[in-house]
Amino acid sequence: MSFVIRRFSVNGFRKFRTPLVVDGLTNGLNIIIEPNETGKSTVLDALRAAFFVRYNASTQLVKSYVPHGEAIGPEVSADFELNHVAWSLRKQFLKSKAIELTGPQGRTQGEEAEVQLNTLLGSVRDTSRNGDTATHGALGLLWVAQTEALAVSAPGQIVRDSITSMLEAEVGAIMGGESYQKVRKRIDTQYDLYWTPTGQKRGRQTEALAHAEATQTAAQKAEERLTQLEHSFTALETTRTQLKVLQREMADTTDSQTRKDLLTELETARAAAQILTTRKAELDTLHARLSTLEDLQQRHTAAVTAQTNANARLAETRARHALVAEARATANQKAQTARTACEQARTARQAAQTALRMGEELTRHNQRRTAIQAACTRHDTLVDLERALHTAQAQARTAIPATQLAALEGLERAVAEAQAIAKAGETRITLSGTTTDITIDGAPAQPGELTLTHPTWVRLGQAEILISPPATATHAQTELAAARTKRQQALDDLGVPDSAAARARNEAAHDASTTLRMLAVQITAATPADERISLAAGPEALKLFVRELDATWNSTPDTQPNIPALTTARDEAETAYARAEGTLASALEALRRADDDALPLASAEAATTSDVKHATQTVESIEARPEWPELTETLRRLRHDITQAAVTLEQATRNAATHDTAAITRRIEAIEARAKSAAEARTRLETDIARLEGIIETEGGQGLAERAATAREEAQTAQIKLNQVTAEADMLKLLRDTLETARNETSAKFVGPVARRMQPYIGRLLPGCDLGFSEDLALEKITRAGSDEVCTSLSRGTQEQLALLTRIAFADMLQEQGKPVSLILDDPLVYSDDTRLDLMTDIITEAATRMQVILLTCRDRAFRHVAGNRIILGQSSPQTA
Amino acid sequence: MKIIHSADWQLGKPFARFAPTVRAALTEARFDAIDTIGAAAAQAGVQHVLVAGDVFDTEGPEDRTIVQALSRMNRHACRWWLLPGNHDFARNGGLWDRVRSRAGAGVRVLTDAAPVEIEPGVWILPAPLIHRHTLNDPTHAFEQMQTPGATLRIGLAHGSIRDFGSQMESQNQIAPDRAQRANLDYLALGDWHGALRVNSRTWYSGTPETDRFHSAETGHVLMVDIQPGQEPTVTPLRTGRFTWLVRDWLTNDLPAFTIECDQFLAQTDPSTTLLQLSLAGIASMSDRIAILGRLENDIDHRLRYLDVRADDLVGRPSPDDMAALAMEGVLGAAATSLEARIAQGGQDAATAKRALERLFIEYNREDTV
Repeated sequence: MSFVIRRFSVNGFRKFRTPLVVDGLTNGLNIIIEPNETGKSTVLDALRAAFFVRYNASTQLVKSYVPHGEAIGPEVSADFELNHVAWSLRKQFLKSKAIELTGPQGRTQGEEAEVQLNTLLGSVRDTSRNGDTATHGALGLLWVAQTEALAVSAPGQIVRDSITSMLEAEVGAIMGGESYQKVRKRIDTQYDLYWTPTGQKRGRQTEALAHAEATQTAAQKAEERLTQLEHSFTALETTRTQLKVLQREMADTTDSQTRKDLLTELETARAAAQILTTRKAELDTLHARLSTLEDLQQRHTAAVTAQTNANARLAETRARHALVAEARATANQKAQTARTACEQARTARQAAQTALRMGEELTRHNQRRTAIQAACTRHDTLVDLERALHTAQAQARTAIPATQLAALEGLERAVAEAQAIAKAGETRITLSGTTTDITIDGAPAQPGELTLTHPTWVRLGQAEILISPPATATHAQTELAAARTKRQQALDDLGVPDSAAARARNEAAHDASTTLRMLAVQITAATPADERISLAAGPEALKLFVRELDATWNSTPDTQPNIPALTTARDEAETAYARAEGTLASALEALRRADDDALPLASAEAATTSDVKHATQTVESIEARPEWPELTETLRRLRHDITQAAVTLEQATRNAATHDTAAITRRIEAIEARAKSAAEARTRLETDIARLEGIIETEGGQGLAERAATAREEAQTAQIKLNQVTAEADMLKLLRDTLETARNETSAKFVGPVARRMQPYIGRLLPGCDLGFSEDLALEKITRAGSDEVCTSLSRGTQEQLALLTRIAFADMLQEQGKPVSLILDDPLVYSDDTRLDLMTDIITEAATRMQVILLTCRDRAFRHVAGNRIILGQSSPQTA
Repeated sequence: MKIIHSADWQLGKPFARFAPTVRAALTEARFDAIDTIGAAAAQAGVQHVLVAGDVFDTEGPEDRTIVQALSRMNRHACRWWLLPGNHDFARNGGLWDRVRSRAGAGVRVLTDAAPVEIEPGVWILPAPLIHRHTLNDPTHAFEQMQTPGATLRIGLAHGSIRDFGSQMESQNQIAPDRAQRANLDYLALGDWHGALRVNSRTWYSGTPETDRFHSAETGHVLMVDIQPGQEPTVTPLRTGRFTWLVRDWLTNDLPAFTIECDQFLAQTDPSTTLLQLSLAGIASMSDRIAILGRLENDIDHRLRYLDVRADDLVGRPSPDDMAALAMEGVLGAAATSLEARIAQGGQDAATAKRALERLFIEYNREDTV
């Protein structure tokens, strides 16, 4: 369906405070050139306002139409042709809001005009705050604002429905747009009653659940209360039964009769017990008496036996004691003799020892004197030796050190060498014959050989001959003299006339050293140590000893004692004394043994004597007792009495055993305890009964059973309801999901044909590429040379171009569908290079042959070569500049 | 001598699963039955009404229930002999003490198993239940009960007759020949909710006001004329207000259902009718929807109460149904998908079945709008 805008005007609309009229728009391509800041985007907004924004809306969008700071009603109008039928539209917003649509059937206004306009353009009422182009139908897609053109976007629902309805036959599937939408909307509404958009339970579901839970809880509580009450009933019944049983028991007289009988029995038992005690005491007395007398008899017998035995032992001990005393006297005699002998031997030994000691003292004194004499002799030798030593030491000190001697020898050699050189340079003249007339250096010459070492004037007669030895000779002489002087100095230092003397002195010193060592050895030999006089080794010790020697050392006369004889005498005395001591020791030992034998016998004799005395006393004391004479008869009688008493006791014991007081007492106590506990139990049971009756009276009157029954039924009903609600919710969820899946699957079928239709357009821009569309017919990706490229990753220019091409392709499809199409592009292709721009303008120009295209641009030059109807906005409305 | 024999009043029954209005009506009808009985007694000149147990639904009813019951009974001149049954058994400090403390002269509670002379020579032998469950025959004691100078011995008991066809655990069982063995002129029984003759001298009166969907004849009392040495004459008297009906209808299409439905409505008083209706058959989806729609939008409103069980009424989308949806594209695809799910069976299938039905409903509603 052709849709052509012929003219439009804007007044009091944003930038256009004064009227702007754009006229003369043609069927094909219209290029409206607008300088910047003239309100290019406002033109598109004004057209959208005219055709799609409700005249009586007061949304933020509509309010934005009012020029800043003014209070006027923005006005837009347009003349257009739809399928070659002319229409005229005028809208004013906010102030004096109005719509007027004039067509072949005349003029309509207000809501009717809006509805008619929607029908004409295939748009729907826009209820959004800021304008939703999806509600604008085909023109929402094809009138492209500057910002919208930059991205490839999906067409709105209306366009999609148009496209799919066109393709339904082709793909063999039906989108069923309208009825689907209505059914879907209803299901969604029902779904919302049960589920949140994210699939969480809500509304009826949660209410039913909460109700079910609440009733369940209430039922449970009611049931619990009822159970409690039932427990009270049961407890009351049980307690009453217990009380009845108890009362019956308490009414029973058996216990009190039994107690009475038992008390009587207890008395009897106590008497029997008393008798038993008496009998036992009697028997015990008899036993005690018997025991005492038997004991007396036994003690008498024992004492007599002891007396006899002790007497026998005493006699034997006394006999043995006499024998031992005799042996001891003999031993004592022997010991006395040995002691005297021993005393004598000791005195003799002491005398011998003294004599020997004195002899030894004298011997030592003589030895000392001899030693002192020897020391004095050695001292004299030492004095001589030390004298020789001093001489030798003086001589040894004259030794010349080896280095000095070597230096002297060097100097000798240097003199010799200098002499040799001087000798070589000497001029020798030999005079023979008469030499009288000859003077040499003024001195008369002598025949013989003469050596000249310096220029020498030889006068021969009147003649004088100057003999000059070679210059070297003079030098050699000087050297020689120097060498000699050095040698002389060295000799002077040593204090020797010449080298030979030096050597001789050195030899002598060397010999003296040897002598020194020898003398030292001799001195050492002459000064040994001598213990006898406490003399240490060495010359100094000797000299000191001599110097300090007392003059009296030689006073004792020279006599020599006989030490061996003295020693022998002493040894013999020692032996004699030892033997005497041995004899004495053995005698004393014999005496001690005799004493040892005697002592125990004496003790035993004393003890036995005591035993005899004691035993005798015992026997006497027993026999002195009054019962003694009758003892045997008394014992016999007592034993008979005991036998009698035992029989009586046996009888009493039997009597007592038949009546066990403890057992009887226990039984009486048990009966009393039973009675007491029964009384207590009765009190307790009566208390319980009163309490339970109280509970039952209070609770029972509240109709708990009926309430519980009601609560139970309500809970069951709530559960049934919950099940129904859950089933309904599940059903709605399934249905909604199924519808959604079916819609997605079906819409996916339309993608292929749309891609096929797009291919020729996009193929011109990107030859050989494949296109990928999403289910909502948005171009998602392109495939070039086998690799996928997502649209959003393409360059801005390409994205913009693709956005425009897909729109043109959709426009063609929509036109085929009979929808009103026209293309308005607000400053398009700003990112295109020259080649692409040419290609795109070619495509737009071609599209303009099929539909009206209005291109708003500020780039006059970019579109200068494009053939089309040019309208320069700034010029046509100079007021808005 | 004439007496009225009733039982199983079940006063205070909750009916909680019903809507509040229905619930109130059902509750009220049970009390009204007392008035109906009282009126019938007056009309027939009957002095004694014997209630054979389960006067109350529980052993612990609300005070209001007790007071309502007693005030209704006190309005009438006859004497009410109330026997504790298994629902309202007698025990110390229990329900009957509460009743007795409020009862007037016309109401007698028989909590002791001891004969009572109600008129000169006319004795009632009661067998009150003192536990919810009694394993012994409560009427066993009748044979030993002394009734000096009796011209009529009337037993009053609550329980089932032994081998009485009950599948339940046998409790409170009564010997079928008790009347003969205990030399009774009449044995008035309670527990079975329908009126039933056990033998010529032994009857169940049933409940005077129906309280559940029951196959037996309910909603009656028995007018019993007893003469010494003769078999009693027993006449059921209708007392019930509400009719509880159970119906199973086999239906495969809307016309068949409509006929059935119209016939039913013609035979009943809808305002006093409670219906439990089970539908079975195989219908087209649109017929099923229409049938359920009729029940939901029409019958349910007419009747006092309607409980529809339509799980066995299988709704199959007809080729026409599917074709209509297929025309709608996505809806058709969704329907096909749901059908596939139904064919798979399992738990999902039931949900899918409902979903498909809902889809048809919403789609068809589309047509009518």
